[in-house]
Amino acid sequence: MCGIAGLLFKNSDYHSGLGRSLIDMLDGCQHRGPDSTGFALYGPSQRGRLVLRFLVGEGRGAEKAISRIRSVLSEQQARIDEEYNVGGHFRVKVSVDHDIRAFSYAMEQAAQVFSIGESLEIIKDVGGAHDVDALYRVHEFEGTHGLGHVRLATESDVKPEAAHPFWATGFSDVAIVHNGQITNYWKMRRRLERRDFEFRTDNDSELIAVYLAEKLSEGVSLDEALETSIQDLDGTFSFLVSTMDEIGYAKDKLAAKPMIMYETENLVAIASEEVSLNRLFPGRALDTHEPPPGTYATWRRDNRPVGPNRRAA
Amino acid sequence: MPRGAEIIDRLAPIAELPSVFYEAFPMALIDLKETPVREANELIRQYGAVGEDVEIVNPDARHHLGVGLTEEISVRIRGSAGYFCAGLTDGAYFEVDNNVGWGVGDNIYRGTVVVRGNAGAIPGVAIRGAEIIIHGNMGSRAGQVMKSGTLCCAGNANFMAGYMMYGGRIIILGDSGENVGEDMSAGDIYVAGKLLSVGSDAVQVDVLPSELDSIMEFLDRYELKAKRGDFKKVNNAGKKLRYGKTEQQVRSIPFHTFSGKCDYWGPKVQEDVWVKSQIGRYRIRGYGGARTLPHLSDLAFRSDLSTIGDDPHVVSKVSMNTRIGGKHGANPLDLSMPVLIAPMSYGALSRSTKQAIGIASSLSGIAENTGEGGMSDAQRDAADQLIFQCLGGRLGWNIHDMKRANALEIYISQGAKPGFGGQLMAKKVTKELAEIRGIPEGIDLRSPSRHPDILGADDLVIKVQEFREATGYRLPISIKLGAGRIHDDIKIALKDGFDFVELDGMQGSTGAGGAEVMEYVGIPTISAIVGALDGLAEIDCAGEIQIVLMGGLRDGIDAVKALCLGADAVAFGTSAIIAGGCIACMQCHVGQCVTGIATQDPDHEKRYNVSVEARNIHRFLEVVRWQIAAITNALGYKNVTSLCRDDLVALTPEAAEITRLAYEPGYRDSDRNFSESVGLG
Repeated sequence: MCGIAGLLFKNSDYHSGLGRSLIDMLDGCQHRGPDSTGFALYGPSQRGRLVLRFLVGEGRGAEKAISRIRSVLSEQQARIDEEYNVGGHFRVKVSVDHDIRAFSYAMEQAAQVFSIGESLEIIKDVGGAHDVDALYRVHEFEGTHGLGHVRLATESDVKPEAAHPFWATGFSDVAIVHNGQITNYWKMRRRLERRDFEFRTDNDSELIAVYLAEKLSEGVSLDEALETSIQDLDGTFSFLVSTMDEIGYAKDKLAAKPMIMYETENLVAIASEEVSLNRLFPGRALDTHEPPPGTYATWRRDNRPVGPNRRAA
Repeated sequence: MPRGAEIIDRLAPIAELPSVFYEAFPMALIDLKETPVREANELIRQYGAVGEDVEIVNPDARHHLGVGLTEEISVRIRGSAGYFCAGLTDGAYFEVDNNVGWGVGDNIYRGTVVVRGNAGAIPGVAIRGAEIIIHGNMGSRAGQVMKSGTLCCAGNANFMAGYMMYGGRIIILGDSGENVGEDMSAGDIYVAGKLLSVGSDAVQVDVLPSELDSIMEFLDRYELKAKRGDFKKVNNAGKKLRYGKTEQQVRSIPFHTFSGKCDYWGPKVQEDVWVKSQIGRYRIRGYGGARTLPHLSDLAFRSDLSTIGDDPHVVSKVSMNTRIGGKHGANPLDLSMPVLIAPMSYGALSRSTKQAIGIASSLSGIAENTGEGGMSDAQRDAADQLIFQCLGGRLGWNIHDMKRANALEIYISQGAKPGFGGQLMAKKVTKELAEIRGIPEGIDLRSPSRHPDILGADDLVIKVQEFREATGYRLPISIKLGAGRIHDDIKIALKDGFDFVELDGMQGSTGAGGAEVMEYVGIPTISAIVGALDGLAEIDCAGEIQIVLMGGLRDGIDAVKALCLGADAVAFGTSAIIAGGCIACMQCHVGQCVTGIATQDPDHEKRYNVSVEARNIHRFLEVVRWQIAAITNALGYKNVTSLCRDDLVALTPEAAEITRLAYEPGYRDSDRNFSESVGLG
C-alpha cells in the first residue's frame, strides 16, 4: 500500500537535481505511505567496480556487521576502494571479478544487502522522505534516473529492510517499486525458486524484481519482460522498474492502482498521483497522461522512448 | 507563511473576460501556494454562504478541492485538481482548467463540473443528479454506482464505464474501452465512437429518437459536437437483477431448534437439501451463524460473584460514562455507558423499527447507527446521537445527511458475511425504499462488496480525509470491520487515521445473507477482539484506537466480558430487536415479518407499535446498564475502565487457546449459578 515515483532525464549526463526531485515527488504523495521511504538512484557508472549498500543497524551490532562484511569481501577476493557508514547503512565500493549472483548471495552471509550495482544505490529507511533525506543526504545525489517509494505497512513490519525499492537480488543495477498486491505470489515464487533464485522477504513486490531480473538475464529486453509480466502476474499492480540505462512501467489489466505520467523532450516523470508531478512544476497545468490498463512502456537514457505505451498481447 | 484569510484579495479583471463580468460578480481568490487545502475549503464554504464565487490558483493537483460545498456558487480552478474534486457537494458549479484525479464529483447531488483536461478513474462515482463534462479522456470505471444525472466525456473512456451503475446516463463521444456497463442495474450509456465490448449483464440496444434529441440538446448546451447517427446505446440485459427462482415459504424452524444439536439427517438438514433441490442455488436467510462456536459464554469471571445482590443503587456507584471517537479532535460520542446500537439498515428493518431503536437509544443515552441505505428523518429525529454509515454502493449516502450526523462510518465488511455486500430481496425494495437509496424498484439488491474508491489502505486514507474536509473535521470517523484478517486490518485502521473501530465477529446477525457464508466464513467474536489487540500490540500501539466490539453479544454479562478482554465499548443489534419484539424465526430476508420489524410492507409494519417497542428496548438497555454496573462493582471496581483480562477465565480448551486465558473448567458451576441470578441464564 503505497505511492510510487520514477524520473528519467533523457539527455543530460548527470543531473544534480535527481535526488531533490525524487524527494519532492515523494513528499507530494507521502499521505499514501507514512511508514517508510526509499530511493533507487543511478549515479555515474563505476565501470567494472561495484557499489554495495548494506543495512547494518547501529551501535555494537553495526560494528560487528561491518567487520563481517570486510571479512567476507576478503574471502571473495574483493578489493575495497572506498567505504563509509551512515545512519544504519554501510556503503562500500569494491573491485571484484566474479559472477554477481554468487557474489551477492555470499555477501548476504555478512549483512542484509540493499543493492549491488555499477551505478545503482538503494537508500531506504523508516520515516518520511525528509527524514530519510536528513539522514542520508539524498538531495546531494547526482544521477540520470531513479525511482522512489513511500510505504504504508499493512502485513509486514515497519523495518528498513521491508521498505521499497527492491533490488533484484543477484542482478546488478535492477530495482523496482510497486503499488498493489500480487495474488499469485507463492506460485510464481516457487517457480523461480525451482530455478535456484533466492528470496529475502515474503514481500510480493520482491517477486517482481526477481521475475524481471530473471528475464533480463536470459537476454530478453526490458520491454519484452514487462510485456510478459502483465500476463504472468495476477492481482493489482502499478510498478516501475529501472536498470542502468532504462526505466519502465507496467500496469495491471484491472486498472486498480493509479499511475500518471508526464513526458517532455528532456524527461519522463511517472507517479501515483498528479500532485507528485506538479511538485516538479509548481503552478503549471501539466499535459499528463494516464496509462491505460494492461499496458507497459520503457524509456532509455539519451534516446526517445522505445515506443508509446503498448498493450500486452 | 501568511494565513489564507490575509492573502485573499479581490481579483483584478482578467484580460480574456469582459471586465463588466467581474464588476457584476466579484470573485474571491484563493492561492493554494499559500493556503492549505483545509483552510481553503473552509474559505470556499464561507464565500458560498455569502454567495460569492471563488477562483483557485496554484492548485497543483491537490486533493479534496471544494468538497462539502452546498451553496450555489461557482468555483474556478486554474490548473489541475487531485482526488475527489467537487465531491460531496450540492448545487455548485465547478470548472477545472486542466486535469482531475480519481473520483471527480464524487456523490454530487445537484450541480455541474466541467473539466477541460483529463479525468482519472471513477469520474462521477455515485452521483445523484449532477452534470459532469470532461473535455479530455476519462479513466476506468466511470460512473460507478451512479444513481442519476449525466456524465459526459468528449474524449475516450477507459475500462468498465458504467460499472454497477443504478441510473442516470453516461455519454461518451470518443471510444468506450472494454466491458461497458459491467453489472449495471439501470441507466443508459451512449457511445459515439467505437464500442469496444459490453460487460456482464449488459447489452447493446437501439437508441430512440427522443433520447438522441436529449443528448444533442445536452451537447449543444456545453458546446460539444457529435454526429447524431453515431450513437450506440448500452443497457442492462436483465439477467442478474433477480434470482431466477424465489425460495418458497416453508414452516420456519425456530432459531433454538435450528442451532441445536440434531440428528444427522435432522429436520434442518432435510429442509436445506429439499429447498436447494427446488431453487438450484444457495439459500438466503436472516440472523447469523447457528453452529456452536467459541463465544463469550465460554468465558467466566474469576471472582465469586454470588454476593452480587440486587442493589438498585449500584448503577450510581459505578462510573460508566464513555466517550468514543475524539482522538483526532472531533466531537466524540458521549455515551452514558460503554454501549452502542449496532448498525442495522433501514431496508432490512422497517422505518418504525429504526425509529423505535432511535428513541430507545436516546432514552438510554447511547448512540444509534443507520447501517446501509440512508438516514430517514424519523430516525434522525429519534436518535440523539446517530452514526451515519457509508457502504460501497453509496445507497442513500449524501452530504446533507453527513452534515446532520454525529459520526461517520466507513463500512468495509460485516462479521456475519465478511467480504460480501448487503442483500435485500425484491419484496423489500419498495418504491419509497428504492427512492431513498437511488436504485430501481423491485430488484434483488446485492450491494457491492467493495467501495469504488477504496482499493487499498492508500486510497482509504484519501477517502477518510475527504469526509473530514467535507464536514469540517467536526465528526468522528469510524471503520466497520467484519473480522477476517483483523490482526493486520486494525493496523490499517490506525494508520489511516480513523477515530475508532467497530469490530464485528461472526456471531453477529444480518438481515439477509448466504446460509453457508454465515455458518462458515467469519471469525468468532472473541477471536476478533484478541486478534485486533494483538495486532496493535505488535506495532507498539496498544490503546491507540478505540474498539467497539459486536457480534452476537446478548446482554450486560457479555458486555463486561468484552470490556475485560479489552474492548472500549460494545454494540447490540440482535438483542435490541428481540427486546423490541423479534421472534427469531430467521425469515428476515422474506420481507413479510409478522412482527413488522424486518419488512417494508405497510400492512405488516402496522403491527409494530413504535412507542411500546421503544420502551421495551429502552427497558432492556437499562437492564444491561444494571448488569454492567453490578458486575463491575462486584469485581471490586468503581469504573468500567478498570475491567481487565485478569477478571476472566476460560471454560473450554478452545476459548483458552483463542484468548490465552487460563483454562479453568472448575468455574463452570459458579458461572451457571451466577448467570441464572443476574443474566439470561
